[in-house]
Amino acid sequence: MSWLALLPLITYAQSENNSNITLSGVVIDAQTKTPLPGATIHLKNTTHDGVTNDKGEFNFLTGQKLPITFQLTYIGYKQAEITVNQRTNIVLALEAANTQLNDVVVVGYGTQQRKSLISSIAKVTAADVKDIPVAGVDAQLQGKAAGVQINSNTGVPGDGVFIRVRGATSINASNDPLYVVDGVFINNTSLQTVNTGGRATSPIADINPADIESIEVLKDASATAIYGSRGANGVVIITTKRGKYGSKPTINFNTSHGWAWAPQLWDLTTGPEHATIVNEFYRNSEQDAIAAGDQAGITKYAQLPFRSVASGGRGLPEEQKTYDRLGELFRTGALHNYNLSLQGGTQTNKYYLGAGYQQQEADIRPINFNRASLKFNFDQKIGDHVQVGTSNSIYRTYRNQARSGDGPQGGLLQSALHTPTYLPELNPDGTPARYAGFDNLQVLIDNYDVHSTSLRYIGNIYAEAELLPDLKFRTSWSLDYNHYDESEYWNNLTQLGAAPTNGLATSALTQNTTWINEQTLNYRKTFDGKHTLGVLLGNTLQSNIQSTTSAQGSGFPSNDFKLISAAATRTADQEWTKATLASFFGRIDYNYAGKYFVEVSARADGSSRFGQHHQFGYFPAIGGAWRLKEEPFLKNVNTISDLKLRASYGLTGNQNGIGNFAAQGLWSGGAGYPETSGSSDQAGIYPLQLSNPDLKWEKTSQVNVGVDLGLFNDRLGIEVNLYSKNTTDALLQLPVNAISGFNTYYANAGKVGNKGYEVAITSINVRNKHFTWQTNFNISGNSNKIKELPVPVTYYNRDWVRLQQGYSMYSFWLYKQLYVDPQTGNAVFEDVNKDGQITTADRQIMGSAIPKFFGGINNNFTYGPFDLGIAFSFQYGNDVYNLNRFFGEGGGTRDANRVLFADQLKRWQKPGDITDVPRVTAYGNNYTLEQSSRFLEDGSFLKLSSLSFGYNLPKSLISKAGFQNVRLYFIGSNLLILKKYSGPDPEINVTSLQNVQGLDLGTPPQPRTVQFGVNVTL
Amino acid sequence: MNTHKYIIPLLGTVLLFSCKKFLDVAPRDAVSDETAAVITDGTSAANAVRGLYRGIAADGYYGTTFQAIGYLSGDNIVWTGSQSIVQQFISHNVRADNASIATAWSAIYAVINRANHIITEVPTVTDPSLTPALKNQYTGEGYFARALGYFDLARTWGGVQITLTPTVTAQDKYGIKRSTLQQTYAQVLSDLVAADSLLPETTNRVRATRKTVWALRARYHLYRQEWANAVTYASKLIDDPSYTLLSPYSAWFANNVTGTAESVFEMSYSTTYPNTHRNSWQPPANNGTRQWAPNDAFLALVNDPTIGGSRSALVAKTSAGLWYGNLYYRPNPATDPSYVIRIAELYLIRAEARAQLNDLNGALSDLDAVRTRAGLGHSEAATKENILLAIENERRLEFAFEPHRWFDLVRTGRAAAVLNVTNPDRLLMPVPASEVLNDKDLDQNHGY
Repeated sequence: MSWLALLPLITYAQSENNSNITLSGVVIDAQTKTPLPGATIHLKNTTHDGVTNDKGEFNFLTGQKLPITFQLTYIGYKQAEITVNQRTNIVLALEAANTQLNDVVVVGYGTQQRKSLISSIAKVTAADVKDIPVAGVDAQLQGKAAGVQINSNTGVPGDGVFIRVRGATSINASNDPLYVVDGVFINNTSLQTVNTGGRATSPIADINPADIESIEVLKDASATAIYGSRGANGVVIITTKRGKYGSKPTINFNTSHGWAWAPQLWDLTTGPEHATIVNEFYRNSEQDAIAAGDQAGITKYAQLPFRSVASGGRGLPEEQKTYDRLGELFRTGALHNYNLSLQGGTQTNKYYLGAGYQQQEADIRPINFNRASLKFNFDQKIGDHVQVGTSNSIYRTYRNQARSGDGPQGGLLQSALHTPTYLPELNPDGTPARYAGFDNLQVLIDNYDVHSTSLRYIGNIYAEAELLPDLKFRTSWSLDYNHYDESEYWNNLTQLGAAPTNGLATSALTQNTTWINEQTLNYRKTFDGKHTLGVLLGNTLQSNIQSTTSAQGSGFPSNDFKLISAAATRTADQEWTKATLASFFGRIDYNYAGKYFVEVSARADGSSRFGQHHQFGYFPAIGGAWRLKEEPFLKNVNTISDLKLRASYGLTGNQNGIGNFAAQGLWSGGAGYPETSGSSDQAGIYPLQLSNPDLKWEKTSQVNVGVDLGLFNDRLGIEVNLYSKNTTDALLQLPVNAISGFNTYYANAGKVGNKGYEVAITSINVRNKHFTWQTNFNISGNSNKIKELPVPVTYYNRDWVRLQQGYSMYSFWLYKQLYVDPQTGNAVFEDVNKDGQITTADRQIMGSAIPKFFGGINNNFTYGPFDLGIAFSFQYGNDVYNLNRFFGEGGGTRDANRVLFADQLKRWQKPGDITDVPRVTAYGNNYTLEQSSRFLEDGSFLKLSSLSFGYNLPKSLISKAGFQNVRLYFIGSNLLILKKYSGPDPEINVTSLQNVQGLDLGTPPQPRTVQFGVNVTL
Repeated sequence: MNTHKYIIPLLGTVLLFSCKKFLDVAPRDAVSDETAAVITDGTSAANAVRGLYRGIAADGYYGTTFQAIGYLSGDNIVWTGSQSIVQQFISHNVRADNASIATAWSAIYAVINRANHIITEVPTVTDPSLTPALKNQYTGEGYFARALGYFDLARTWGGVQITLTPTVTAQDKYGIKRSTLQQTYAQVLSDLVAADSLLPETTNRVRATRKTVWALRARYHLYRQEWANAVTYASKLIDDPSYTLLSPYSAWFANNVTGTAESVFEMSYSTTYPNTHRNSWQPPANNGTRQWAPNDAFLALVNDPTIGGSRSALVAKTSAGLWYGNLYYRPNPATDPSYVIRIAELYLIRAEARAQLNDLNGALSDLDAVRTRAGLGHSEAATKENILLAIENERRLEFAFEPHRWFDLVRTGRAAAVLNVTNPDRLLMPVPASEVLNDKDLDQNHGY
């Protein structure tokens, strides 16, 4: 395993022996008074350096005169300068710094020190992700947190991100984690209504990553059950930056600028190559038509399409030209970032004020993403026992949207990639040419007019009072308000707006409002110095309303008129939906002497979504931990600085992703019809949906066992977790027999299982005065299985994807191509049922978009004023179905309608040819069996997700100018990718449909970027 | 510290907040039928009946899909698009997982469920605004729609499961076996008879009246080979001056006309409820997909002035030379009506029934009425066989893009001779595979 090479290279300096007078003592922890082995000691103004032995003792022989000043550095402790006036029995005490063990971890409704943590929580700090130049914090987390699989679906900044915390648990309900920003449960479902070919925006990209202090991902049941119904898919807690009491005002300005471009595109055939293959296709098809006695076929394929123009053809193959459309579409996009913040505080208040502006151009025209943000956090103490505060963020996100994935009309990549290369951009008369139902690329780029603006406020106010010395009460009101404004205008040069439509405009305004009111009572007390008891009680009320008003107009007087009011035909639509949630929760935790920990939590959630019979769901959890390090037999083993065993079990729920009124029997309006011919419609109603008063919560139980190990005074930290999740009563849209007049209804059926492991290793490989090297490594594997599903469900047109009992989710449903017969050139498919024919019954589940394992390796170096960060992320064993190749290797069957990829040149041509690309013909299964396993590819990758290099200007230079710190830096992303996949990037998906993963069609690949920046602190 | 004296009671109040009420959320664009039936008064009854017609006009039924099954399976159309399931109809090799089959099946049963609600619930409403006449009319319209639904099911799939009650729960309609073809047609007739007794004898081309019932009944008797009844009911319409054959042929659809005197029953569309049918016919130049188009054989016939006559208006050609069907053409808004029954059909029904009854002159006069309107001369057929063949050929052109050709050749037993469909199993469409999978009482048609 290559990563072993990255495990710590721990170096210990030897103490020097070069003088005659002893100087000895011990270095201890200021609080616990335990000795600290391995602490680095430097005698100020000398060349003497030393390290404490395994009892924390040091011993110098030196002639230095008293007093002597010791400079001490020790991992996990604050650096100290201590002056002493004695030569022996010196006791140097070090204050613990914010080490990982003492690290404060945010948990549901509170915080905990990592050393007393029972549950499995991954923490990512702002520093860990500051160098990842993507728009959204969700995409930044890739490779940073064990057990969290993150894939960017496209290369478009601010686009949807696929996140699964410990696997996918649900089929029809949502699989996305719950996002909590400063206690506000925020919306993470895209509000987009315009068609961008399957892509969807990520609402998380509204948030400016620069405002974020830390991100915690809660994974096991003991951590998530306190979030009850929404905890099943994990919880991502985002904490934004706040000031500090009693700190002076600090101004920080950070700006970076750079470029984004696509690293690699597709290999296409040239015009002559395309023509040659199509002619060959005609020749072969004619042969086969004769063999089959198909008279129509013989006529159809009698003449080659690429024959001389004189004989009515398109010209001979060698006369064909090649036109490069990809080069027109792809560009080097510009990236600009500006962030300015002010933070500080007095003894009674603290504040953080941040402003940011980001501009990111995608690597294809004309897509871009702009975000402006303003953040204000404030806390005020009132007397000794009361504190009030507020968090406020306002974001404006502007996107120039364009359709890039599926769908011919208005589709950028289909026009650029799927149009055959021999076809010219212009008609002989100089007008733009359109082919195969695709728009003309240049016309599309010049006339694209689809954009969206998201205005979003996320904020809360709270008051906290200490009712009794150990009893705190807190109340808060939170709001997540999002106004999403979209407009589309297709003028008459584009296909969608061309005559007879004469311009097509859509405007949609969507509002999403969530308010939350929450009360908690928190009690924590330590008795007799040994027993610590914590009790939490709380309730939450939450309401969410989403409404959309949209209008559409067509028939514009000319391209100068763009507003719907100018259109001849206008229609409007309105949608409104609401859901409420009432919850009560509690948690009791107890620990004995920091050694034995036990925690019990429970939440009751009542949801307006469920039938009267099951409105409330109850979600308990229990967890325990044993910190062996505190036991006598380990207390004095210095190599082991921490050892803790953890276990938890609990139940969480899921109700997201189903309709707000899914349980109700409904009659819908909107089925109007006239009374007589020629009169206008009058209102009509019809039965829309069957009721299911028994609809209830989807439940996921989870067992987690884990071990935390710290070695060499926590220079090496290892966290291992094993888990098993079982989802029952899965919310499913079950088919109902159509004679009922309905097709589906929501019910609880189906079971999904996930099992996996996570390993996270943190290692401080080298730490001395000048040089530090730290490595973080994490790897996770998850195996997913649909344990029960009443009927298989297929997804996406041509049913590429199928969920079926006994298989994992995100599996493909294909005909398995075994080989191409070297004698005949025909593709041989596996005849699963051995009936001598290849029929639907021979389609099988093959491959899955779920990786066998994934993770990241991050190395950070500092050398004096320089810092270097190298972050890799990797994924292994996932499959991608290459739909671009499916269309581009049609063997001539699509003739002038689709491009041919260069791979098509490997086709079988004569007996003895060994290839997997079958003989080109219209007959047989070679190119007519659409779901061939030939296009299923290995999607494993290793990416250099970020490379950063920084230089801090010397303090002496900048302090005169009044600066505290000035850092110049460079960031590169995706600079290197190792993959087998034939497309530009295996980390890709054409659609935001949650059950479809790993389909690559016309989606812009993730860009390679470089940026230069400066960060100034005043 | 005094604050807790207030905060604890406050917290208690919040905790006792009436959850029940807070969690009770209702939609605003729909009403719940859980506590009571939705059809409770004159207005809701009228609304439900209009919803019933919108169901017949839906994409899956007379909007596009069901119609397409009828004409694609004939011999006039060639597949020119990207969806290969279309080709299955054209080559008479429809697979049970064909999505169009499932769509049409569901759409028809959705109409039957809407009709069942009306038939069951409207008679029980007590509301002075719902006069006995209106009550009869609405109930009669329900019976008509149900008759149409079972008729279309029977001619496409054979005997089907019969359900006559509104569906309330997801489990309601399990445990029902397929009826025989006889039983299914018997249900059609019984519903038509009920509708006949309830509906007013008025002319309304977009909703069912007694006359619409007679028209469907004429077609029903033709399918059942009850020739005398077919003549009787067809005559009722032909003799009614409200219905006339318009000339030229295109007069009943061209120039954005709706509800012409040609039309006995058509579905109405509007800006709010457009008819998407044109998208499958119109070429990309007219913003369609040209999923299918008239084939060469049909083009030769319809463009032959001695055979097609003015019916050549059904097809058009793009500047690039692509032929396309032009019956559904209205661009913006797409308000082409869906034609369910035209008076021309009743002439040809009577012609066929008369020929079968050996009233050859009567048959020829009806056939010639349709030919004359198309700008053609009298038919030269003389024998019964030749007249029947002439009627068959006339129907091929007259209803080229309406759902007749396939059903005609199946009911006359001519599919083998004309379409080369030699496997008798292929004369019925397969029951949707998903339905067979989901309902153990639903048997697949033989051979699928």
